Amino acid sequence: MDFKKTEEQELLLESLKTVMERGDFENYFKECDKNHEYPQKAIDALVEAGFSTLGIPEEFGGTPTDILTQIMVAEEAHALGYPSLVWINFATEVDDILTFGNEEQQKAVLDYALQGIKPFTLGFTEPQAGSDSAAMATTATKRDGKVYINGNKTFNTSADRAPFMLCVCRSGINENPYKDFSMYLFPMDRPGITIEKLDKIGNNMCGTYEVHLNDVECEETDIVGVEGKGFYQLMKNFEVERLTICAANVGMARCAYDEAVKYAGVREQFGKTIGSFQLIQEKIVDMKIKIENMQNMLYKAAWKKMNGESIQIDSSLVKRYTGQAAFEVIDDAMQIMGGIGYTHDCRISRLWRDQRVYRIMAGTEEIMVHTAGRALIKEAQ
Amino acid sequence: MNTVACYKVVPDAQDIDVNPDKTLNLDKAEMILGEYDLVAIEEAAKLAEATGGSAALLSAGGEKLNDTKLVKAALSRGAQELYCVIDPVLDSSDAFQTASVLAAALGKIDYDLVVCGEGSGDLYAQQVGSLVGALLGVPVVNAVSSIEAKDGAVVVERTLENEVEVLEVTLPAVVSVTTDINLPRIPQLKDILAAGKKPVVKWTLDEVGGLPESPVETVSVLAPENIERKHVVYESATDENIGELVTNIKASW
Repeated sequence: MDFKKTEEQELLLESLKTVMERGDFENYFKECDKNHEYPQKAIDALVEAGFSTLGIPEEFGGTPTDILTQIMVAEEAHALGYPSLVWINFATEVDDILTFGNEEQQKAVLDYALQGIKPFTLGFTEPQAGSDSAAMATTATKRDGKVYINGNKTFNTSADRAPFMLCVCRSGINENPYKDFSMYLFPMDRPGITIEKLDKIGNNMCGTYEVHLNDVECEETDIVGVEGKGFYQLMKNFEVERLTICAANVGMARCAYDEAVKYAGVREQFGKTIGSFQLIQEKIVDMKIKIENMQNMLYKAAWKKMNGESIQIDSSLVKRYTGQAAFEVIDDAMQIMGGIGYTHDCRISRLWRDQRVYRIMAGTEEIMVHTAGRALIKEAQ
Repeated sequence: MNTVACYKVVPDAQDIDVNPDKTLNLDKAEMILGEYDLVAIEEAAKLAEATGGSAALLSAGGEKLNDTKLVKAALSRGAQELYCVIDPVLDSSDAFQTASVLAAALGKIDYDLVVCGEGSGDLYAQQVGSLVGALLGVPVVNAVSSIEAKDGAVVVERTLENEVEVLEVTLPAVVSVTTDINLPRIPQLKDILAAGKKPVVKWTLDEVGGLPESPVETVSVLAPENIERKHVVYESATDENIGELVTNIKASW
């Protein structure tokens, strides 16, 4: 078993480190977080260094990159303090459109993705349909050669910036909702679309919105893939997407750990460093164990996917574990920092606010029990 | 214009420990490309790109030059090929010996302009560039902060303490560049992947005429002694304060 990164991976991560060092973004991120601003300067730096091209096929202007390497890059960026929910690589989103979209849709999405611009906000969750995705009620109705979209989507990240929405709608052709969903891709500036910003506790650099769709007129060609197959099409990449999300968890945990462990070695109380107290050492050791476990689980899942094995169970286990473990590591890091950790001056306070949603979004940790639990029992029979 | 950038593989300064006897402990130090040499590589690559020429890299050193990661790191920065002279004895060669080996190697390479960093990342003697030019018998200019290609020549700016010289240097020539001449590119994944496929030519010392005797004997390389800070702060530059500062400095000798 070889745990060593390849030379190419090491050099790529060194390039990433150089981008982050040259940018010296720590104070910039603090300002963006405070002012609820999108960190455009950092995005530009990463895009200029080619990080938005990773994983996009060569014939479309990208650089073929395996999943594990993409995950390592996302993890490392977050470990170096890059904020969550504003990652600049959209290879997986692009793959959905490259697989199922028409040529025009492919071109539109690719142009944005290569520039590090989130091509579309995903219209999936609705106020009454969170974990229960079958309850989605947004409709796509055909009338006079057009399609009209009506409904409400929520928790749409970057709906203010994304040029398109990839919207999952009921088509009204099958009673079984999973066989009735279709995907439509339409520009966010179409008449009938209004957005409403949600006021949340973290991830201030990325706006999250409710999107109201009122008779949004689409062409029949705006459909992505096959009518009634939308849900299954979306499932093609959701496991890999889940792993990318988990990479942010590992990165954020590492970022908090690095700062706290350094602090423990220099902060003096009672005439010695707090790192010399065993209660602090215990925290550091347990934090490190969790980071190692998270990385091992995540990398192994990516490796399995790359080797053609199913990660149906793994992706749920990794999502549940990294969400919880990262939360615990960051919380312990704040505890080690003491009062300073609770101030906005300390980066850990931002991580503490930002990471919390990773236990909820893209499948709650409870739903991960639901998906993995059933599968594990079935597997044992 | 065909360019050659010289570089040296050096220990990462942040990993170097000082032993109690002030000798250096390099055991934990990762080997990296000299930071001043990255600027030379960038300038050589940029000039070749701008003039439709080719950029090559050249290094002389010990076994560490065989490190494939370091080879990829060097070749991911715009040059098309790499030449190196490898022998363990070159790990401890002095500036004259290194320059002699590089000059002999350059005799086997087609070049118009050789670009060196302002000094090596470890010893920073700032000698090699000038010595290479002298040994080759071609024009050599150091402290170059800008290079522009001209027919059969380059126009360079040479930043001195109180002035900037503008010189036209006929080719072939050797220049040493300052760190502000450019900001080295950050290799992208496609550059890193391509680097692994670029040609590398390795020579033994014998193939470049061997190592000359050194006219200099290195007695030791020691770290400066750590002196504790005195934490004396002067609020203003009055004559009295300046006098006191001078007295304090003299007293600490």
